[in-house]
Amino acid sequence: MANPVPSACCMVLAAVVVVYAQRHSQPDSHTQFERVGADVTMKCGSMDWDAAVTWTVNGTDIDESHLNGSYLILKNVDLSQSGQYSCYEGSAWHLKYQTTLKVGTPPREPVLMCRSNNYPKGFYCSWHLPTPTYIPNIFNISVIHGTKEMVCEKDAVPKNRCHIRYLQLFSTVKYKVTLTVTNALGKNYTTVTFDEFAIVKPDPPESVVAKPVPNNPRRLEVSWQNPSSWPDPESFPLKFFLRYRPLILDQWQHVELSDGTSHTITDAYAGKEYIIQVAAKDNDIGTWSDWSVAVHATPWTEEPKHLTTEAQITETTSASTSSFMAPPTTKICDKGAVVGSGAVAVCWTAGLVVAAYSALFI
Amino acid sequence: MAGADSPSAALRRRDLCARGIRLAGKMRSDVVDLLDAYVEQQGLDASASVAAVEGVPPAAVERWDEQTGTQRLLENLAAYRAFRGLLAQMLEEQREQLGEADAALGRALAAVLLQVSAFAYHLEELLRLESRGPPTDEGDGPPPQPQSVFEQKLRGLGVLRELAQWAVRSARDLRQLAKPGPGAGSAPSPAESP
Repeated sequence: MANPVPSACCMVLAAVVVVYAQRHSQPDSHTQFERVGADVTMKCGSMDWDAAVTWTVNGTDIDESHLNGSYLILKNVDLSQSGQYSCYEGSAWHLKYQTTLKVGTPPREPVLMCRSNNYPKGFYCSWHLPTPTYIPNIFNISVIHGTKEMVCEKDAVPKNRCHIRYLQLFSTVKYKVTLTVTNALGKNYTTVTFDEFAIVKPDPPESVVAKPVPNNPRRLEVSWQNPSSWPDPESFPLKFFLRYRPLILDQWQHVELSDGTSHTITDAYAGKEYIIQVAAKDNDIGTWSDWSVAVHATPWTEEPKHLTTEAQITETTSASTSSFMAPPTTKICDKGAVVGSGAVAVCWTAGLVVAAYSALFI
Repeated sequence: MAGADSPSAALRRRDLCARGIRLAGKMRSDVVDLLDAYVEQQGLDASASVAAVEGVPPAAVERWDEQTGTQRLLENLAAYRAFRGLLAQMLEEQREQLGEADAALGRALAAVLLQVSAFAYHLEELLRLESRGPPTDEGDGPPPQPQSVFEQKLRGLGVLRELAQWAVRSARDLRQLAKPGPGAGSAPSPAESP
């Protein structure tokens, strides 16, 4: 015959466990989405209306004025009222109900744009919402070319973009791209339709460099490279648009270049700092890129004249008290006027003559 | 006669391709202007979709980058020969419909027809250089005649749109052909077009 004492102990232990579980069991967690401005009523699970309950939001007690019996009433909710709401029974604080309230808005019509910066490989579409919804959204995109549905592969980064490989080139059939955005409070969509050529827009040229040209005070040499995203510049050459202006003026000069990736500006204002930018476009189709990063350059200028010889002569003449004024020796000794090896001898001779005259009249 | 791969043939090919590219560019520019005038004169909606029109060679192509030089030339030639017939028909229809009322449009159509003919001849020269010789221009007979005036107008829209696409494609094709290196024009050729 079994010993009754251990069985009784087991039964008591089981009862204790059950009671403990009942007191501390977590209710199912809920999430509810509500529109900004809505009135929200939360029931405390299966509790009766007249049960004594306490509601908290994010751990903080909610004033009884918001209660109607055991129901929590939130009027005209706003974004700040998002949070975790919990309902406890009576003074024992048994958690009876819990929900996460997320206040947000249904989506407005999304903004969608498609562009080919790597023609003829394919194109990408990117999108965003004009205003945030504050709750999670799901985006679905469909691309149709004629009767064919094409797959738009989502990019890992950024998340609001996908890309499509061209299956056909030179088609007159338009592409139709529809983006649908859905959240718990509603959905919206937008559609764009375009033909293959219209969305071709290269990235700006890269590595733009502008340098002065030695001994040319009005020239600047500008060079750049094709955007690295453009896959085949040999078969799909780009043309370029260069704009430049001195910093002190607002008006740009423009030059369109049908080939090559360099240009010499020949009408720069001497000594003025310039700002220069370049844009690119497929030779035949599409639109101009954005402007490249701006570069600055100043045309070559002649170095200032060396003043040592002139200063020394001036010191020598001013040491005397005579009223004789030494003739200027600048022109004779001017570097610009120097021609041939005899010019140095002339300078020294002039200096000696002046010194001699000065000594006579001391 | 120099072989297709001889240096002189390569130079000649590059020269013909360069001229062909310029011709295609001018042709496209004129076709786009003609398209605008045509849409306005015919009272059409520029954004109207036109279904594929019988007899109009579509410029759309799959795996364009995998085509051989000879394929490119043959497809281009077949297309421009077809456009020659289609534009001639449009010119005739335009004269019947409007008489001298819109001589400018008629002249523009005739000018584009001339460029299309010149381009077709240019392509024949390139094919001769490939030691292939162009296929004979037997044609498929006159293009099918649209039933109504409205159908004529829509077809005209389709012809000019497709021709504008072809002009872009032809420039690209010729650039591929002009690239130095093997296979620019000497790969195995597909069956000749009739």
